[in-house]
Amino acid sequence: MFGSFKAGEKGKIINISKVGRLVQRRLLDLGITEGSEVCVKCVMPFGGPVMIESCGQCVGLRRKEACLIEVERI
Amino acid sequence: MEIALIGNPNTGKTSLFNNLTGSYEYVGNWSGVTVEKKVGVFKNHIGKLIDLPGIYSLNPLSKDEGVVTTYFLEEQVDRLLNILDASQLERNLHLTLQLLEYEKPALIGLNMIDVANNRGIKINTDKLSQILGVPVVPVVARSGKGCDTLIEVISTSSNHSKVKKHVYYGKVIEDGITKLSMELIGKTDHSPRWLAIQLFEGNEYIHRYLSDLIEPNKLVTLVSNLESAIKEENGNIKSLANYIYLKRKKVIEKVLEASVQKVSTIVPLSERIDAIVTNRYLGMPIFLICMYLMFMLTFDWLGTPLSDVLDGILTGPVTAGFEKLLGVIHASDFIHALIIEGLIAGVGGVLVFVPQIFILFFFISLLEDSGYMARVALVMDRIMESVGLNGKAFIPMMIGFGCNVPGIMAARTIETPRERLMTILLTPLMSCSARLPVYAIFVGAFFVGHKALVVLSLYVLGIVVALLLAKIFTKTLLKSEASLFVIELPPYRLPQVQSLWRSTWDKGKGFVRKAGTFIFAGSVFIWLLSYAGPNGLKVDMDDSFLAAIGNLFAPVLEPIGFGTWQAAASLITGFLAKEAIISTMNIIYFVPENASLQGLLSDFYTPLAAYSFMVFILLYIPCLATAATIYKETGSKKWTAFSILYALFIAYVLCLVIYQGGKLFGLV
Repeated sequence: MFGSFKAGEKGKIINISKVGRLVQRRLLDLGITEGSEVCVKCVMPFGGPVMIESCGQCVGLRRKEACLIEVERI
Repeated sequence: MEIALIGNPNTGKTSLFNNLTGSYEYVGNWSGVTVEKKVGVFKNHIGKLIDLPGIYSLNPLSKDEGVVTTYFLEEQVDRLLNILDASQLERNLHLTLQLLEYEKPALIGLNMIDVANNRGIKINTDKLSQILGVPVVPVVARSGKGCDTLIEVISTSSNHSKVKKHVYYGKVIEDGITKLSMELIGKTDHSPRWLAIQLFEGNEYIHRYLSDLIEPNKLVTLVSNLESAIKEENGNIKSLANYIYLKRKKVIEKVLEASVQKVSTIVPLSERIDAIVTNRYLGMPIFLICMYLMFMLTFDWLGTPLSDVLDGILTGPVTAGFEKLLGVIHASDFIHALIIEGLIAGVGGVLVFVPQIFILFFFISLLEDSGYMARVALVMDRIMESVGLNGKAFIPMMIGFGCNVPGIMAARTIETPRERLMTILLTPLMSCSARLPVYAIFVGAFFVGHKALVVLSLYVLGIVVALLLAKIFTKTLLKSEASLFVIELPPYRLPQVQSLWRSTWDKGKGFVRKAGTFIFAGSVFIWLLSYAGPNGLKVDMDDSFLAAIGNLFAPVLEPIGFGTWQAAASLITGFLAKEAIISTMNIIYFVPENASLQGLLSDFYTPLAAYSFMVFILLYIPCLATAATIYKETGSKKWTAFSILYALFIAYVLCLVIYQGGKLFGLV
């Protein structure tokens, strides 16, 4: 799961359907969907957002949403 | 000819717009700088160029994105100019395919080729143009390179795509498109194929548009039949929208395969900077240090000395010059008093703060241009989330430091209506630049040793009050609905001197212009009120109309430390524009000889009362322009009245606590 990822670790999204509809759409707009390779760039303290990178582009999203994304480590 | 400029957020549309039209619109390095359409005329007068908010898809999520869809449906677009970020081609092309389906002449401006090259991405523009069937022109929007070629291509060729169907969506969908097209014959000027595909994707705006043309029940049945047919055909497809997305994606992959080469991957500088500024532990302290430096420069190190110099010129040579001129033309006493005591005191008193305000605007522009703004939103999200807002709401608030009006407009990029309304209501608590002269005068008079710190405390107080109120509103008035926080973090860009200066000037000129018009007229009016009284003209100021009006409210202000008619009168004018507070005070406390307003103030205020007064100014009311913007953006008289009333209430209560509490602790 994405929640356990630390900064610098990479993974491939296998299921994104548990995330809220709006967030899912926005991530899709940014080209992040099932099959995308993502890398966690940094994790903010106190349960704050995570910054992930996919295809050379950085996106910030909340930890609880990131935790709903199923990712397999690569 | 009308040409619409469209592209993903933060791909440089507005930069290009400025370069092509020679006008100057607001540019920044974060998603959502442009929130409504702007019209400009091409430098060579071939037609009008329309700058639209950035979108990822024609199916909108937030209000600024809706502007584009509405524009497509309701207005006559002649040509489309699609801007692509060369370094993010894959995601940008999703929009391009939707635009080509709109079936109007189009051309593509390929921006940020330099960024793409740095990342080792090589793009064959001829090949790309050939596959898409429309001209592709490489440009560098920031420097204006390639703009001439772009204009040439726009004005010469008709640019109808030579390829008819870019994406084949499979038999089921194509049949659906045909079916809908049959229904639409003779009913619309728009491409039926485009309308159909947008409808299938779940675009609400298109659905509403089509509901007027076709029986709504028919539409719903058509879409749900298609969806079940698609799901039956493909087991792993979750929705119609998802299916359409995947079809487009496949086409895009083919396009990229043919036209793009990846040479190597280098770690861009951005990532190295991000490792520091959005660091787990350093992120917040770095933000605070940036703010602190900004305030020290504005109020202590640079701004104040410059303001003092300007003040010296205005009260010295300028006033003397006017005196001389008035003497030469034998002006009457009335005119003499009007100009010296009314205009120079009133308008000059505001103009003195031009250096400080320009320094502040310079820093805000720097934050916007560099790409740090989006990082601040990320760093602040945890705090904002705890009060029921999201990190994106911090951007309107930061812009609100310059002026509340664009701040409130910037709230359009917030997707959920509840969070957007809350941001609109709370942005007026951000201390805008018009409030700055009041602070500058008062800290100069009472807190000489700690100018920047005292002012910083006011800015922070504004934020803290906003956050506390957000928490209260979330618990009571605006109970929680889904919150959404996904933010694009653009690569850092080295701000260019020219664009920084233009951005600063663009914000600052409003202040100067206002001094020349609104404050000018206001100063005359206020001076007249102070000059005339119930017993005739040229009365003692304490017997004037202004004093009479002020005295009505003064008793109410007594418990919070400044129950004088002077304070009450300047607060009333402050509703019109916050700068008017200082011009009113300059007129009321007019001191002819070498004494200054600052020196005089200590006769009327104690330091504690002065702080209470500043806090009151910070919070008490959104100015007229802000209130009008709140009304425009919320479309609700109720919320506009609420924004004024809650601010008055909070300001009064807080000042009561500060002043009475301070007295209890023996402060004066």
